[in-house]
Amino acid sequence: MDNSAKHLLQRLVRRIPASMLKSTLDKWERLTAEKRKSLDFTQSKWIITQELVALCEKSELTVKHITELEMIYITENPNQGMWHTFQLVEPEDDAHSVELMQFKEQFKSHLRELQRNVSVKIKKHTDQAVWIRVAWGDGLSSPNHLKATYVVLYLQTPYVFVNALSSKHKPLLLQALTLSTRHQQIKAANLSGQKLTALRDLLMRQYQQVFPTKYPSPLAESDQSISKLRVEKVQAEASANRHRMAGETFGDGMLPALQSAVFKLETKFKDPTNEAMTQRDEPFICSVKFSSSNLLESLRHCASSGIASTPVTPMLSSIPLKGRNYFVITDNVLTA
Amino acid sequence: MSLLKPFSKLPDLNTANILLVENEEQFQQNLADTLVEETAVTVNVRLAKSLPLPMENDESRPRIDLVVFIINLTSDKSFESAKASLKYLDPGYFLGKVCFVATNARHASVRTGCLDALRQLAALLHCPLLFAEDQSPEGATSSARRLLTILKVASGLVPNTTALYLSSLTRCTMPPDIDQPSFD
Repeated sequence: MDNSAKHLLQRLVRRIPASMLKSTLDKWERLTAEKRKSLDFTQSKWIITQELVALCEKSELTVKHITELEMIYITENPNQGMWHTFQLVEPEDDAHSVELMQFKEQFKSHLRELQRNVSVKIKKHTDQAVWIRVAWGDGLSSPNHLKATYVVLYLQTPYVFVNALSSKHKPLLLQALTLSTRHQQIKAANLSGQKLTALRDLLMRQYQQVFPTKYPSPLAESDQSISKLRVEKVQAEASANRHRMAGETFGDGMLPALQSAVFKLETKFKDPTNEAMTQRDEPFICSVKFSSSNLLESLRHCASSGIASTPVTPMLSSIPLKGRNYFVITDNVLTA
Repeated sequence: MSLLKPFSKLPDLNTANILLVENEEQFQQNLADTLVEETAVTVNVRLAKSLPLPMENDESRPRIDLVVFIINLTSDKSFESAKASLKYLDPGYFLGKVCFVATNARHASVRTGCLDALRQLAALLHCPLLFAEDQSPEGATSSARRLLTILKVASGLVPNTTALYLSSLTRCTMPPDIDQPSFD
């Protein structure tokens, strides 16, 4: 085991929380059960790391094995770092018949053609997701495993999620992905967030949605308790209406946790009280960012409590409808 | 838009009606549940987000004896909405049948001057200003008790006193130095 492998292992163990260390190592299966038992997980992280490095050295593990451990950890805990989304467009005729083995070979060979020193690892997760780990090397230098890019894609769906991709490697990765999934083009889907599962649920519509109906509620059971008899909401109809409209836009149940939404405005400044600015011909450029621990939940609350007007403006409702959280707004049109 | 009038309808026997106006619609529900537990008189509670009240249920609505504006001091919108709603009240209500309840007054994120503005408003309209704690059930109970005292008087259930008389004792008065820079 060389120094870079040791360094990688140390960095990795530092990232894994102590409570998860044991279960992650169990799933790794590179160390025998006896060796795993010899580790004392009640000790400090630093001592465990030392022991682990010694054990791995004894078992003659290499960088390749350690990247496996990293991949197990990231696959189990995908909600870290910033995930960006790309969308594959213009599929070719045989795009729907791409299967995993073929994709693996194609992707590796396409990427190696573009960049000589890359290390690629592809694994299929239990929920049909294909996880790809790419460590990039420059020219003659060997791949840098400390800053690996993670890519998650579901075969036969157009969305690709990417984590920690530098702008230098972006065209290479996108080209390899497009070719190996048999598509003509790939474009940014303008959706990013810290939680991979939330992005996936939003794009694949895996959250509870409400569809507009003429008779929205089933017959309400009459509650005859004293508080119901004597307390009456005067504006109950208006508030029920607001709740229904908020539900139609944002759904009823749990919502995918998005952290932010950014609107870049490139429109003319309109304010009747401020003539100097209104008369300017150039657009007024600014960007508006909404952030929250669960943005969609907050927006739904704003709409249902009347802070935001209903029906919800297309600007806010297009976050769940179009599945994106970055918008550039020019005069009269909502475009990418 | 229709004004809410204090004397346009006949009162019911041993009944008091209270209207709670709160833009956020959070504290009013707890308060209402506590208010209706009163057994000596029949208390009817109406909840609203803002005034004016809709015309459709105007007929079935009883005479409102006390209008309470609940204002969350941490939110500007809450104050603005209450201020806008005041226009839809008949002047007769301001003879002792309106009351302000401020919540979150000790919260760290209260804007400076917000409390002073509310005080000024209450003093200008000769209305009492109460402070309430809205997080715990005890807070709701104690504010409900204070509101009930005013409500009973305002609905004419207490002999020998009137809402106007009570309000001249309990109304908010402006401290004389409210416009002066304070020394602390």
